[in-house]
Amino acid sequence: MIQHLIDGILIGAILSLGATGLTMVMHMLRFANFSHAELLSIGAYSALVFEQLFKAVLPFTAGTIGPLSMTWALAVAMIASMAVTGASAVLFDKLIFKRVREKGEELSMVFASFGLALIIRNVIGLVFGLQTQLFSKDIIFATVLSRDPLIMVKPDQIAVLAITLLIIFALHLILSRTTYGYALRAVAENPSLAQVNGINLQRMIVTVWLIGGGLAALAGVFYGLTNQISPVIGRDLVLPVFAATIVGGLGSIYGALLGGFIVGIAANLALTVLPSGYSPSVPFLIILAVLLVRPHGLFGEERQ
Amino acid sequence: MKYLTANRYALGLATALGIALAAGSASAQECTTKIGAVLPTSVDWGKPIAETAQYVVDQVNEAGGAAGCKIEMVLRDSQVDPKVGVDAAKALVDIDGVQVLIGAVSSGVTMPILTSVAVPAGVAEFSCCSSSGAFTKLAEEGKLKGLWFRTFATSNVQAAVGAKVAKDQGYKSVAVLYKNDDWGQDIGKLVAGHLEAQGIKVTSLIAINDGQPSYRAEVTEAISGNPEALYMALYPTEGTSIVRDWLSLGGTQNMIGANSLKSDEFRNNVGMQYLGSFRGTDTSSPRVASADAFVAQYKEHFGKEPNGPGLANSYDATMIALLAMEAAGKDAKGADIAAAVARVTDPSGEPVTADKDGFAKAKEILAGGGNVLYQGATGNVRFDANGDVSAPAVVWTFTEEGTKEDSYITLEEVGELTAK
Amino acid sequence: MTGIISYLVFFTTMASILAIATLGLNLQWGNTGLFNGGVAAFFGAGAYGTLLLGGTSQEDHLGGFELPYVVALAGGMAAAGILAWVVGVLTLRMRRDYLAISTFGMAIVFENVMRNAEWLSGGAKGLRGFERPLRDALGDGFAYNAAFLAVVLVLLFATYRFLQVLVRSPFGRLLRAIREDETAARSLGKSPARVRLTAFVTGSVIMGLAGGLYATFYAFVSPQDVLPTLTFQIWAMLIVGGAGNNRGAVFGAFLIWAAWTASGWLLSRFAPVDAQIYTGSIQYVLIGLVIVGMLLWRPQGLLPERLVISQSGQAPS
Repeated sequence: MIQHLIDGILIGAILSLGATGLTMVMHMLRFANFSHAELLSIGAYSALVFEQLFKAVLPFTAGTIGPLSMTWALAVAMIASMAVTGASAVLFDKLIFKRVREKGEELSMVFASFGLALIIRNVIGLVFGLQTQLFSKDIIFATVLSRDPLIMVKPDQIAVLAITLLIIFALHLILSRTTYGYALRAVAENPSLAQVNGINLQRMIVTVWLIGGGLAALAGVFYGLTNQISPVIGRDLVLPVFAATIVGGLGSIYGALLGGFIVGIAANLALTVLPSGYSPSVPFLIILAVLLVRPHGLFGEERQ
Repeated sequence: MKYLTANRYALGLATALGIALAAGSASAQECTTKIGAVLPTSVDWGKPIAETAQYVVDQVNEAGGAAGCKIEMVLRDSQVDPKVGVDAAKALVDIDGVQVLIGAVSSGVTMPILTSVAVPAGVAEFSCCSSSGAFTKLAEEGKLKGLWFRTFATSNVQAAVGAKVAKDQGYKSVAVLYKNDDWGQDIGKLVAGHLEAQGIKVTSLIAINDGQPSYRAEVTEAISGNPEALYMALYPTEGTSIVRDWLSLGGTQNMIGANSLKSDEFRNNVGMQYLGSFRGTDTSSPRVASADAFVAQYKEHFGKEPNGPGLANSYDATMIALLAMEAAGKDAKGADIAAAVARVTDPSGEPVTADKDGFAKAKEILAGGGNVLYQGATGNVRFDANGDVSAPAVVWTFTEEGTKEDSYITLEEVGELTAK
Repeated sequence: MTGIISYLVFFTTMASILAIATLGLNLQWGNTGLFNGGVAAFFGAGAYGTLLLGGTSQEDHLGGFELPYVVALAGGMAAAGILAWVVGVLTLRMRRDYLAISTFGMAIVFENVMRNAEWLSGGAKGLRGFERPLRDALGDGFAYNAAFLAVVLVLLFATYRFLQVLVRSPFGRLLRAIREDETAARSLGKSPARVRLTAFVTGSVIMGLAGGLYATFYAFVSPQDVLPTLTFQIWAMLIVGGAGNNRGAVFGAFLIWAAWTASGWLLSRFAPVDAQIYTGSIQYVLIGLVIVGMLLWRPQGLLPERLVISQSGQAPS
């Protein structure tokens, strides 16, 4: 039971990172982006490439960091991957979403994102192959925190959780304490009013995509660390990430954090009541439950 | 009436394609017989199955072709989408005029191909890997007209042998994880039944869905029952995720796996150091001098062992189809080819090996009016009246280079085990 | 030549069935602006419903009612309608993009339940034991396929006419009014919620009809028939054909299904065997590009919606 809770928080941290980016994008651009989860794949694969590159160029980075399975090379690769993924997100917006947006059909963007997701997923499959890959083949054994009840965690997962909390806290500070953060929020609330007040809308949109892509890249790398990397990461994560976003409420950073944890924990606890065959249904059931009780999510504001 | 225009446009387009094809086939080399294959080439584990089938065709052509002609295998991707697979099969039968279909893999694709394309057209269908019990039932109801064959030994063989392994290893309790598809649901339940019949406790029976973001919960659930061993009827991708989590949470290294885990991907990504106590089950070739012919030649051709779901089955399905074509003679119809399967899998026939030379030898014997016993990659394939096979089994272990046989279980022993 | 005709009959049957589903989606999206991301579930409800009600008795799952075919098909449509009603009541009051996510998730649940509830649906191995109607009289060869195609074409045309009439009716005007400006419609005393629910259920019943025909054609259905791919294919048909235009929906269905099957055929013919593993991926990339391209350069589709000015009493088609 307690183990399920802890497992849920650990997978939840990854969903939180994905959901934080998605919630900002959905809040500002007002469409359900079905391609957001594909950014996690882009992040994971570009980190894989950069890691190999750094290891080859700077062999001393091939060592692992303390008890983690992550190498120094991967740590640097992760940052490079955040930049690449953020840039890809901006590029997709420029090539596709911006143009569809300008035609004035919000919901066409939903379908455009559907199409984009398909393109990204299959191009990755073509380039990297369909088989799964790992950052590290070593198996890091879990540390036993308690024997009765049995509680075990992996060092990697603690690191993932800590970094997630840190990043989300930092993001929150930026959004709530800096002028830039105010501007971002103003645009999300009311784009025309914000523009009247001299905020550069285009720049704000680029910023949101950069943040969303960067966080997605982190989530993708963390997912690869604790699981496996495959071209279908996006397909597998799209519904849980949406669920975390909706549960938290659009536009709320802390909501997304909490939403990720809730979805992760619920998916783990569900196994104690539902047969395991039904686990793919859990994210949808959470979405439904939250929307029936709080149509705007836990922290979302009402908005038409 | 623009609607009709649209309709006509589509018809026109398709007709144009059809004519283009007809022209293409007329200019083809003299005397080529086409066979059709509908396989999920765009899925990671599907491609090797298709490559293996193509390899058989190449070998047969080296041996001079079948029924007097070169064989051309037209391969279509099913995309694991039933309507795509059925359409592809229909095009192969109607436009390419094939009398033999190889495929499909997933029962959900194979079933509609069989019932709405192959059987109505009288085409013989050979599947490597469709495991659903529904085929047996359909055959019993007499709806398949004897046109259906599969080289996938019923899951019960592997399930029974898996339970025997657990018993022999002295495990008192086992957690069973199975892939949540038709094959896995079937084998999962069978294994649990056999384990309990052996007096072994099944601590948990857990369905594993494809493509879940994490299998941590399932692993935690399985581990909480404190089983002495883990049984897995899983594919390599999910199997790898699960075993890595299982081991890192302190799960036992006592593992038993179905043949679907006989994969380099699984071995490499889990690591040999953890697989010392792993035992796999598989159906097997009979104990004859040429028993390893398939493995040896596969290694030579592909540079790796035939490890992965369905490869040996795919080899046999294709080879038997071509042997039956040879036996049925030139321009035989699907029903004749299906009827000739008995001549190439005749228990009292002359044994032939699963390779080019075996095919050449079979040609001679068949030409002389004799029958042959095809000793395939999955065993002395012998179909019952419903197109199902039974086969001897092996228990195997992983090695640094691939896999090796641990013990052999004869057809008679398998029969005893499965009867329990 | 007979082979080509036989194949074309087969192809046209499947394209027509998909066209019916696309028409259902057009009512929801094209005319009412409801983003249904779960087409596969309503299609599947029709398919499973028809086979369960019309099938012979099976030991391992529900069924064996052996109802007359027409009743079974109607039952399948009703199953789709009931599912749509429940989903609609729960989700239609949400933000419009939430509806997309909810229906998408709901379709995953539908597939998941069909895969697991063996007592109901036969589980992953699928639902069988259905006898195609009139099989004894027509056999199961070309004659049957031709007769079945005739029935499907009649139903496609009937659906098309029904929707044409519906769209031009006051109800159809109301749908577009709500799509364009919900507040204005409400200020006129209309109930957008109820109207949207009606459109959602009607569209889903049409998808259920398509699903029922599909399952009849194969006399089989399994969870693999109701994967999200199907939803995506139907959407692609509508977007390319032209949302809001029923002819566009039918045209798009034929065009996309022809492209889908013909590309597989061409790749098998001309791509080397080694490249075959990539064909599926390439096909998906191409379809994705077509969709994104359409949205960018011709968002109204190949046959755009035509503004209907009802007052002028314009003659139908």
